Amino acid sequence: MNSIAEHIADFLKEYPPFNHLTFQELSEIATSIRVVNLEKHKILFQINDALHDSFYVVASGVINLSVIADAEETLLNKCHDGDIFGLRPFFAKNNYMMTAKAREESIVYAIPIATFRPFVANNSEVLNFLLESFATNTPNPKDKENLRGKLISDNVYYSDQQSEMQYFQSLNYNNSPLKTTITSTVLEVAQLMTETIMNNVIVCDNNMPIGIVTDSDMRSKIATGRFPLTASVDKIMSSPVITVQENVSLAEAQLLMIKHNMTHLCVTQDGTNKSAVKGIISERDLIIAQASNPGVLIKEIKRSQTPKDLKQIRERLADLIQNSIHKNIPLSHINNIASEINMALIKRSVELSILELGSPPARFAWLSIGSQGRKEQLLPTDQDSILIFEDVTPDKYRDVKDYFLKLGKKTTATLEKIGYELCPNGHMGSNMLWCKSLTDWVKQYNSWMNTPGENSNDLSSIFFDYEIAFGEQKIEEAITNTVFKNAKNNTLFFDFLGNDALRKNAPLTFFKNFNVEEEGPNKNKFDIKTRALMPLIDGARLFALNYNIKGINNTYQRFKQLAITDVKNSEIYLNCAEAFLVLSKFRTIEGLKNDDSGQFINLNELSKIDREKLKSALAPMKELEELIKSKFQLTQFS
Amino acid sequence: MIDWLKNINKEHPEFWKEYLSKFDKKSKRFVILSTETSGLNPVKDVILSIGSFAVIDNSVVIGDSFEAVLLQYKFLHDNGLSNEFIVESKMKKLGELEAIKSLIEFLGNAVLVGHHIDFDVEMINAALERLDCGRLKNEALDIDVMYRKLQDINNRQFSLDELSTIYNLPKSDRNSSSEDAYRIALLFLKLKSRLGIK
Repeated sequence: MNSIAEHIADFLKEYPPFNHLTFQELSEIATSIRVVNLEKHKILFQINDALHDSFYVVASGVINLSVIADAEETLLNKCHDGDIFGLRPFFAKNNYMMTAKAREESIVYAIPIATFRPFVANNSEVLNFLLESFATNTPNPKDKENLRGKLISDNVYYSDQQSEMQYFQSLNYNNSPLKTTITSTVLEVAQLMTETIMNNVIVCDNNMPIGIVTDSDMRSKIATGRFPLTASVDKIMSSPVITVQENVSLAEAQLLMIKHNMTHLCVTQDGTNKSAVKGIISERDLIIAQASNPGVLIKEIKRSQTPKDLKQIRERLADLIQNSIHKNIPLSHINNIASEINMALIKRSVELSILELGSPPARFAWLSIGSQGRKEQLLPTDQDSILIFEDVTPDKYRDVKDYFLKLGKKTTATLEKIGYELCPNGHMGSNMLWCKSLTDWVKQYNSWMNTPGENSNDLSSIFFDYEIAFGEQKIEEAITNTVFKNAKNNTLFFDFLGNDALRKNAPLTFFKNFNVEEEGPNKNKFDIKTRALMPLIDGARLFALNYNIKGINNTYQRFKQLAITDVKNSEIYLNCAEAFLVLSKFRTIEGLKNDDSGQFINLNELSKIDREKLKSALAPMKELEELIKSKFQLTQFS
Repeated sequence: MIDWLKNINKEHPEFWKEYLSKFDKKSKRFVILSTETSGLNPVKDVILSIGSFAVIDNSVVIGDSFEAVLLQYKFLHDNGLSNEFIVESKMKKLGELEAIKSLIEFLGNAVLVGHHIDFDVEMINAALERLDCGRLKNEALDIDVMYRKLQDINNRQFSLDELSTIYNLPKSDRNSSSEDAYRIALLFLKLKSRLGIK
């Protein structure tokens, strides 16, 4: 026992759970503490680090706890003086699931688990506090504020995209609700409701809602005889009405109904009951909204038996995308959800083929490549895929290849029926060339990467964006390893890719006008795919391969991750990430408008503001181009 | 050389021999040392209290510490001072012999760290001489020197309070050698990571 341990014990006893312990116990704990100083931005532990033998208490400074999901850092919590964190070693054996990083220079006390455990065992209040602390998960930043100093979550699980979507998803509801005045009688109102087959009516005064009458009011207040039929409607109405704004989200509406125990919400002009009634949201509307929820779509895909069913679902997905874009949901979310559904569709198509052909003679992987592989396919563009099967003995090879070619043909045909056109370049698993054994594929990648340009007709950079849709994960991993092994210090390959990325024509002319098509059916339209999106996609792929960023195929996320990896140029990457979203949105809107792939933008239909927006989104490309030029020696192929 | 000649015929105490034998290996342990003395003259003045912490792997190990008040009855008596403050202190009270002996055992072959550490070392050496021992062999680091090196300042010195203010450490009103040692320890951690010392 020394005097500093005493000071530390003095400090600890102010904060839970230490306030449940005696000073004697605290002194004992304090004696075994290690004091750690963290410089600003220093990481104490990060995701997947092995567990430390202690947990931590902030003595001074601020520690940020965060998780990294989809290359985006999400702040979970800020720990201030007296907050405890890093409790994971108490309850779990696997590695840390979050990152603890000093936001400013901080001093933390490391309390060894071994020392503290006996106190936990002997003191139920301490145990409860720690358990609660460990299990709390508060996605809402406001809750976190309230909990500060009390509970710091350690057990993170992501709310998956589907439920996240609910926060954005808006509702379709009845916008011509029944209205009545305060002077009408119950009888009149009941007749009105019966005639229009509605279960509710809003009682208005000067078009402002003052109450609501529903079927249940009729049952509980009239049919029981408590009020006569001639009573005025204000006697039986529920008042006040819960009012909401027009663009209320599904989740919000749900919460309000639960909170107020109401079955209806009244939509008014400004969301208060002092403005005009615009509509009524019933519980049923919520149920319907949930049915076009991505989760439900995926479930339905899994149950579908024919291409026709799948086609319908693909059409509903298009609606979902259109609605989402209309409602200004962040495009990165839409991308994630759409790609999940696309993947589910492909997976189901492969499954249907297998059901028909019988089980495969060898393990295999069906990889989506190109835009699907990058998870950026919002519009039904053409399908690109490859099929890799595991190595078999030479005598079986023919039969196996035969089977998989058949499988490829069936699947691509199914996908065509669903609405994905066949790839005009034949980049599909049904093609002899792209349905091969693992060894052949490894050879293929080796030759592409080590002698690029020799049979350059064959090499399309889309083969470097792949995502497994069905089959053996290990096969995808083997390909990834081949690619990154070959990419290492391969100047020739990067030279080739770099040139490929820069070969596209500039989107703007010398006079800062759009470089539009000069001839052909799309004359005077802007080719947003080749002139704007492709350079960004190619650039992102080039740098991702160069910086050894595995497992992230999405252009937006690649840029985000690059900003983390290559901090020096992070601003350029972040600009590109934003630009990519803006440009994809333009393309998607155009595509939805014309029911095509949206490759050509009709500039005359854009408003002046949109044109400027489009132009400014093209600006970061120049910077990216410079970065490519300075990073890679592009001599061989230019 | 002269030290060696002077000591060659003397039999050192047992703890000192053990101390010397520890230097066969290099240590990863740092020991933060702070002493409180009766004055600034190493020969005439004596150590009144010692506070000390170990720093291992970038963290202060609170349990690995040593602190003591030295009962300098003779010195106090000779100079006509009262010993009231000793009686009041809760810290462990030891005579000079036991205190220095335990300190030497605690230090081992660690690297010493302090604020104007040369003076502390000088004071301990003087005490060691009275016990028929040699001089401290430990390497020593001075946080004032470290700070000036970091900032490239040559023309002035910084007091412990000044350094604490620069690095936003709370100043404590209770001033004891343990307290100082703890502050030095935190400053050392900060300077260490900034200077990149392993």
